[in-house]
Amino acid sequence: MSYYTPPGAGGYPQSSPPPPNNLVWAILTTIFCCLPAGIVSIVFAAQVNSKWQQGDYQGAQNASKNAKTWAIVSAVAGVLFGIVYGIIMLVAASETSTY
Amino acid sequence: MRRLAAPGGVLALAAAVVAFVAVVDPNAEGTYPSCPFLALTGHQCPGCGALRTLHALAHGRVGTALALNVLVVAMLPLLAFFWARWTAARARGRPVRTRAGDPRLIWALFAGVVVFWVVRNLPFGAFLAA
Repeated sequence: MSYYTPPGAGGYPQSSPPPPNNLVWAILTTIFCCLPAGIVSIVFAAQVNSKWQQGDYQGAQNASKNAKTWAIVSAVAGVLFGIVYGIIMLVAASETSTY
Repeated sequence: MRRLAAPGGVLALAAAVVAFVAVVDPNAEGTYPSCPFLALTGHQCPGCGALRTLHALAHGRVGTALALNVLVVAMLPLLAFFWARWTAARARGRPVRTRAGDPRLIWALFAGVVVFWVVRNLPFGAFLAA
């Protein structure tokens, strides 16, 4: 008994384009977004291409979603940190100023 | 022309960021937030020094930029390539990726980033630190 699935099964024919691996966002959040969470999206970006090449189209779709999620997590965390930092600096500036 | 609005917007945004970082010096204390990873752990993340690297590059100081963060300098041509490929695909109204590239390239990038991250925090790797 073998349940071998031929490549191209599962509604994703070989000729259709692969799901986005979001590698650009992974690189941007790794080098500019101050949090190493971007590295996680590099791993998922690599998984998108690995799984697609192996014929695991559903796995490639899932990795694509994860790559996107982690890039957003990293970017949002970076922006939040920037806002919190800005508020702290404003509060510190107002407390140290003497009238 | 409408197809090129998004690549044009990204180019304008990138130019604005570079111009801002070129004028507002990240070498001065307190102009930008410090890296939270560095603040929490005392170790540098792979992106530490990225703003000072951009500032140095915007002022034509390539040597300073390489000494601060060689990863950022290495990633800029790659990002430019992805932007150019995206723009060309948009101009022709075609999908950006028609097939997946060799995953070993991305795994190599991942390995490179992790090695860079670790080595720049080790005593013998201080030359990679920002």
